Amino acid sequence: MNELVEKIGHCVERGKINKASPFPGNMKGQDGADELTRQALEAGMDAEAILQSCIAGMVRIGEKFGRNEVFVPEMLMAAKAMKAVTEHLKPFFQSGSVQAKGTLIIGTVAGDLHDIGKNLVSMFIEGNGWNVVDLGVDVKPEKFTDAIRKNPRCVVGLSALLTTTIASMSKTVREIKALFPEIKIIVGGAPLTMEIATGMGASGYARDPQGAVTWLTDIKETA
Amino acid sequence: MTDLQWDILQKVVGGGAVNPLPIGFIIDSPWLPNWYGVKILDYFSNDAVWLDANLKAVRDFPDVMFLPGFWSEFGMCTEPSAFGARGVFPADEFPFAHKIISSADDIDSLRVPNPATDGLLPFMLNRLRLARPRIEDAGHKIRFAVARGPLNIASYLMGSTEFLTAMMMQPEKAQTLLKTITSFLKDWLGLQRETFPSIDGIFMLDDIIGFLGEEEFRTFGLPCFKELFTTDVSIRFLHNDAPCRVSAPFLPEMNVNLFNMGFDISLAELKDLTRNQVALLGNIPPRDVLAGTDTAKIAGAAAELVKSLPDTSGIIFSCGGGMPPGVSSENMRVFIDAVRN
Repeated sequence: MNELVEKIGHCVERGKINKASPFPGNMKGQDGADELTRQALEAGMDAEAILQSCIAGMVRIGEKFGRNEVFVPEMLMAAKAMKAVTEHLKPFFQSGSVQAKGTLIIGTVAGDLHDIGKNLVSMFIEGNGWNVVDLGVDVKPEKFTDAIRKNPRCVVGLSALLTTTIASMSKTVREIKALFPEIKIIVGGAPLTMEIATGMGASGYARDPQGAVTWLTDIKETA
Repeated sequence: MTDLQWDILQKVVGGGAVNPLPIGFIIDSPWLPNWYGVKILDYFSNDAVWLDANLKAVRDFPDVMFLPGFWSEFGMCTEPSAFGARGVFPADEFPFAHKIISSADDIDSLRVPNPATDGLLPFMLNRLRLARPRIEDAGHKIRFAVARGPLNIASYLMGSTEFLTAMMMQPEKAQTLLKTITSFLKDWLGLQRETFPSIDGIFMLDDIIGFLGEEEFRTFGLPCFKELFTTDVSIRFLHNDAPCRVSAPFLPEMNVNLFNMGFDISLAELKDLTRNQVALLGNIPPRDVLAGTDTAKIAGAAAELVKSLPDTSGIIFSCGGGMPPGVSSENMRVFIDAVRN
């Protein structure tokens, strides 16, 4: 792989957004994902190759997270660095030279304003080449069903951090399934387990962003 | 808590063995209104309903320590309201607070609230003041000053993603925010203690701790908690039911002497991580087991928990985290019987 393209993936893994960003401390003052991607595209490098390098960086940081070697703040920074790259790649997505793998509609369920889990998952999934429709926090079931109508081949992701909003999540799953029985729904969040997810009728459960990416990849391959 | 329960709690926290095995639960608005059969909004807005629900709990389960006991709160809106956060109270759903900091630049203009007058805090304190005679008539006392922790409040005021990102991108702003909140919390906990001289414990709840790595925790969390828990009360109780393997070794340094954890870690591992210097309250799964429909599973989990501990000193048997919604009296009794027998 080209050295510059590889460096972009490294910036994503380390959460180095741009030159001005003070994080990580040992990359202070260096070009970040933003500058390097611009340079790479100006030099005529392949957008798809840049995307693949970034996805590899996201996978590496996701694996580190799974091994408790990095934590949520580092994951957020990696996702933000990825975002800086995808901003540059957007025209290539739009022109069709880079194809989205599918569409995920994601939101934190009604009654819950927590966004960390939802944001991390959405940024990771976007970083893995999916189109993400982020409905935000405190999302009522109708807003999910409206979004599904506009994106009929989507997958839905529901997030909750509060124990108290599990009931709201169950209600959302029920209402989506009642209208769109074929839609796949993945759920995640601190109070959930596979057992609870299965009990509420969700199609999948992931305990971390990498798990969500793996689940989406699996369902896409088996579709 | 009664005097006897308080003595038992102090003995457990002191590392002593207690017979029968002590049982305790954190109870508040996610469990009490539904268990008592009232709407959540009635529980928050009607002082008599709030008091009766709490009195029923202590009367129905006289052998159980309910912590903090008679917790006057308005869910997640309590402390953020003092900073001016807009609280949303649906009729029978849990309340939540909207954030008030839209960018890190707003942090410098944030003022330390006055807990005696600001937001919902005067209501919280006055409810307790009015209820105090009946609480004491029932043989109980107000034992804890209670607040959500600084990281938790910061994440409500700013949004959790934004706050955690600020830690990495604008660390000095994140520190300023935490200093403001810590200063407020000292005043708030102090006011509660001043109002109720029977208070001899501090209880803080903060699950944002669980999202941090060691370096971030040392930089942003540890100094605040050390400051807040360095105080002359007998019980210094922390709840964090998010991951705790990173922060648990710091609990003694934080001056915490009682800890309620998430269910994904064993009491034996936590005893090890805290070098057996912190009493523990836990740890059967709250939702899958305690709130479940299979009472045999509850009895099995409780018996297994007791069996897993060669030494039960310094342990209060409970679930991981607070009492979840939907736990019936029957489930509680099954748990109590299984631990005791």
